[in-house]
Amino acid sequence: MPEAPETAEPKSYESAVERLEQIIERLDSGQAGLRETLALCGEGRDLVSYCAVELGRVGEGLKELRLDELAAEFEQAPAEST
Amino acid sequence: MSGDPTSAGEQGGEEIDSPGTGASPSSDLPGPFPVGRYAHRLKEELRKRARVLLIGEVSGVGRSKVQAYFEIRDAGGAVPCAIWITDLERLGLSMETLRDGVQIVVAGGPDYYPGGAHSSPSFSFRVTHVRLAGEGDLLARLAELRRRLEADGLFEPQKRLHRPVLPRTIGVVTAERGAARADVLAGLNRRGWQGTVIWGFAAVQDRHAAPAITAAVQELAARPEVEAIIVCRGGGSLADLWAFCDETLCRTVAMLRVPVISAVGHERDTTLIDDVSALACSTPTHAAEAAVPLDCLAARSSLVGASASLRKSAHRAISERSRSLGGLARGPARALQRERGSLNQLIREIRAAADRGLVDRWLYQRRIGSTVLARVGRRTDEAVAAAVADNRRRAGVIGRSGGAIVTVGQTSLEQFAIALRAHDPERTLERGYALAESPAGEPITGAAGAVEAGRLRLRFSDGSVGVNVEDDLITPSGEDGTDA
Repeated sequence: MPEAPETAEPKSYESAVERLEQIIERLDSGQAGLRETLALCGEGRDLVSYCAVELGRVGEGLKELRLDELAAEFEQAPAEST
Repeated sequence: MSGDPTSAGEQGGEEIDSPGTGASPSSDLPGPFPVGRYAHRLKEELRKRARVLLIGEVSGVGRSKVQAYFEIRDAGGAVPCAIWITDLERLGLSMETLRDGVQIVVAGGPDYYPGGAHSSPSFSFRVTHVRLAGEGDLLARLAELRRRLEADGLFEPQKRLHRPVLPRTIGVVTAERGAARADVLAGLNRRGWQGTVIWGFAAVQDRHAAPAITAAVQELAARPEVEAIIVCRGGGSLADLWAFCDETLCRTVAMLRVPVISAVGHERDTTLIDDVSALACSTPTHAAEAAVPLDCLAARSSLVGASASLRKSAHRAISERSRSLGGLARGPARALQRERGSLNQLIREIRAAADRGLVDRWLYQRRIGSTVLARVGRRTDEAVAAAVADNRRRAGVIGRSGGAIVTVGQTSLEQFAIALRAHDPERTLERGYALAESPAGEPITGAAGAVEAGRLRLRFSDGSVGVNVEDDLITPSGEDGTDA
């Protein structure tokens, strides 16, 4: 895995997408050699997985919470733990 | 039961003025009256009230084809007003006169529109005269506050914050029962976003609104999972929206580390929170879309596209190279096949040439043999003839017995036969000599002929070789200067 630093977890969805666009542009240019192509494809696959997970987190049904109820839970929690 | 709501209104005025006294429908109140008749009676009663002058600030101006609507308000309360457009024009005033925050004095009295089967009733103060009463206090205060906040540099900090394109959790501050709540959900739904919304419900209009909104915004910002906050409410008069111009709220929002997106009132309304927030939107729907800049539906399909593109690139890179590798791998086999074919052809040609060579050699030897034999035969014939003549001459001279002559002649003949055999070229070659011939196959018998031919074939008993003549002619006396 010589490209390990390249495939580090992206910081955000937008940075992942930005890098993914760079990779696809580079691959589409046809200028990458075999080793680079395979490394870029591997990195791209990781980025796609990351983005898919991020999108999955906001795709499984809207969750609605109420601030007053959360605040009440927060106040109860320390009392229960003692 | 009396059928006259008017007299009931007069007799039971106390009940009408104090509806909350605990009277039940089963009590002995007059009625029930048809509500339409009661509404019309109410209108008549209100119109009987004295005409007065009111002073206050204009807010929430709107108009229909025939009327202009607005409120006049002060710190103690407000009254909804209506004026016929024709009355406004008669006064030499335009709709522009009725701006939010303008202090005016109106003349008129209470009026009631009783509504109908399909239209809603409404109360208004019927204005017949309007005059301006100086610059509106609310707007002046708003402008002053805006100047102060800007001077303190509070318009910028929120705008410098990073807004994530795909937040997982969004906080929303709005009225629990307002239309803005549904608008926010519609905007999020349009993005295909289904993360977590934390509602910070707060009053958005009364005097408790500003502190409640401030507290909700602060609590949401304190939650680490909240990545963006929307503050919104529907349209209203400047006074309605005044809570969103609260100085404490605006200073709080300006200093938050979480981006706040505001959508207060309609497009034409500008509140101070719009100035200090990271982004001001015209409607709650737009605010929701701004909070989730990424269109999740489109992003999902483009991710599928990116994935396919990567797969294709990887496949193409490998398959193209494996094809070329395959071609290279087949190269040596093809070359060997080619070489093998040409070798076979050579072998066939060599065989044919060898066969041809044997025949040529046999023909050549026969030709040279017959040439030499003819030459030797001729000389032998001459020698024999000379010997015969000589013998005859000797027979005649010596006159000795014929037997002796015959003996001599036989001996000579045997010697000639031996000489003849000695000249057989095959035997000569077998003894290690070589025969020189021109490329045309003619025998070369001298050095000068060899130089002239330039190229010779030396034929040995077991085959022939090609020879280049490199030196000039060298005679036995060594006249030529070249090395031997």
